[in-house]
Amino acid sequence: MHPRTLFDKVWAAHEVRPQQADTPAVLYIDLHLVHEVTSPQAFTMLRERGLQVRRPDRTLATMDHSTPTTPRNSLGIIPVTDGQAAAQLDRLRKNCADFGIPLFELGSANQGIVHVIGPEQGLTQPGMTIVCGDSHTSTHGAFGALAFGIGTSEVGHVLATQCLIQNRPQTCAVRVNGRLQTGVSAKDIILAIIAKIGVGGGTGYVFEYMGEAIRALSMEERMTICNMSIEGGARAGMVAPDDTTFEYIAGRPFAPQGADWEAAVARWHTLPTDEGAVYDRVIELDATTLTPMITYGTNPGMGMPIDGVVPSPDEMSDPSARTTLDKALKYMDLQPGQPLLGHPVDVVFLGSCTNSRISDLRQAARLMQGQKVAPGVRMMVVPGSQQVKAQAEREGLDAIFKEAGAEWREAGCSMCIAMNGDQLAPGQYAVSTSNRNFEGRQGKGGRTFLASPLTAVATAINGKVTDVREMLTEPVGV
Amino acid sequence: MARVWIFGEDINTDQIVPGRYAPYMLKNEDDLRKYPFVEARPDFAPTVQPGDILVGGKNFGCGSSREYAPLALKMVGVGAIIAPLFARIFFRNALNLGIPCFTADLTQTLHDGQQVELNLERGLLTTDDGQTIQLPEPPLFMREVWQAGGIVPFYRTYGRFPGEPAA
Repeated sequence: MHPRTLFDKVWAAHEVRPQQADTPAVLYIDLHLVHEVTSPQAFTMLRERGLQVRRPDRTLATMDHSTPTTPRNSLGIIPVTDGQAAAQLDRLRKNCADFGIPLFELGSANQGIVHVIGPEQGLTQPGMTIVCGDSHTSTHGAFGALAFGIGTSEVGHVLATQCLIQNRPQTCAVRVNGRLQTGVSAKDIILAIIAKIGVGGGTGYVFEYMGEAIRALSMEERMTICNMSIEGGARAGMVAPDDTTFEYIAGRPFAPQGADWEAAVARWHTLPTDEGAVYDRVIELDATTLTPMITYGTNPGMGMPIDGVVPSPDEMSDPSARTTLDKALKYMDLQPGQPLLGHPVDVVFLGSCTNSRISDLRQAARLMQGQKVAPGVRMMVVPGSQQVKAQAEREGLDAIFKEAGAEWREAGCSMCIAMNGDQLAPGQYAVSTSNRNFEGRQGKGGRTFLASPLTAVATAINGKVTDVREMLTEPVGV
Repeated sequence: MARVWIFGEDINTDQIVPGRYAPYMLKNEDDLRKYPFVEARPDFAPTVQPGDILVGGKNFGCGSSREYAPLALKMVGVGAIIAPLFARIFFRNALNLGIPCFTADLTQTLHDGQQVELNLERGLLTTDDGQTIQLPEPPLFMREVWQAGGIVPFYRTYGRFPGEPAA
């Protein structure tokens, strides 16, 4: 048989109807994740047409985008004070009840950011097709699934039919050679890739991350990388499943059990790309020379080594790129040639579907232990799920953050998208472990430097952008 | 004639409609029409006219999958979007909503405020200064979806896959 890539295999296994010259393919969807913000109009469409949800057992809903992350009241309830948000959450409750969809409610033990809970519950599995009305659905590709974000019309299609109309993307191998240095993490790998190719560089492709550096990463680190595939323009990113993958899934609530598990692992072993399979494009990166990365501009492609200087628009040959950079630097109030090291910050946000898993919090807490957040700096720590929060509390990580003067919050998307009231004030600077530094993303007029959890903590301690390598004498394991 | 609005590269969905203006956060969902480019280009929403054409740089619509970004553009009647490269989620959302997208780089050819006429069927753009620009001719699949005003309206009207002969 013709050698095939991981993507080719997953795509072919889900083609209900292949792509024709003039019409897209129809794909079967194995898992559909739903949240409160992008689903209401889709349910309205079902009601208008008198349709049912085709596979409620392949659908799971949670509440994350608009939920408050403020601490629970004395009754253990997370109060929703915003009337519009409360109405939105009620609507999801009703939609799930009416259509028989399981829901992880705000405040319940399994609630959390949609891309944290799928893997956590063992729902996300190799070889699946996974969609959600959220662009960071690419996260689930870390398991060797084909996972991507869809719009609300498509959420409606999938609810009604469990299928989706798609054009077949091209494949791009992203090979990361060598091993990371101390203080350099998965977040730095993906920021470096996007800085290299630009935010449109992967448009039309599905990335497959490979190479020694990727193999050495934990599942949670692979999720961080796949999560930001969309920021490089790739709709999905994948990592071939291996023993690291299988060990992570084993024993989780929705993982196959007993003989089913053996059969699943045997099937998953057939997924990695065949010897000799060809990609439409190849990108290479050397992990050994990578440094901590930070963004200086208003898209995730405007990133540089943390000890670098802000580039000058004058050095740009393309007039359109020059205008874009010029506008970004004005918004950020930064000068060409300026270093970011030492730049004061107002807020440090540790959270989001990129970096809010238990290993992120462990790493951050180890660096934070015995230290204080600098005076005048607000640091928010927002666990990705209630499970992550509970685990962190069992390990005493919450106490480390609180003693340092950081806020320990309930689970949700929080300041990554600033829909729930957690936001920057105009003009404020933040180091954020999230995925987007777009103008106004974290609050109107707010200015975001994207970086790793380690860089975020180092910056919180010093009150200014800091190279974490200065603080580390040995690797901070996960 | 329709007005041309020129936009830069990498226009993201948070610029089109910030997440903070999600439909549910508005008293009335119809108010979404007030918010396209509310912070990035505040003069847009108050003055855009039905049929106006957005001309952007590469990677138009990058970022979020939130369909209310293209939906807000549809609500104010945007007639078409022309850019050399579209972010894939945005492109498909726009198609599903019936907003014509043409892949072409015209940011240097046209200017902001210029008046043009666009023949959607043929992908033919005529400018007020007499230029005729042939855009990539749209496949039948797209034309049918555009005519129906979106993919769901198409299915409901015709009960078949767009771009194919009736069974």
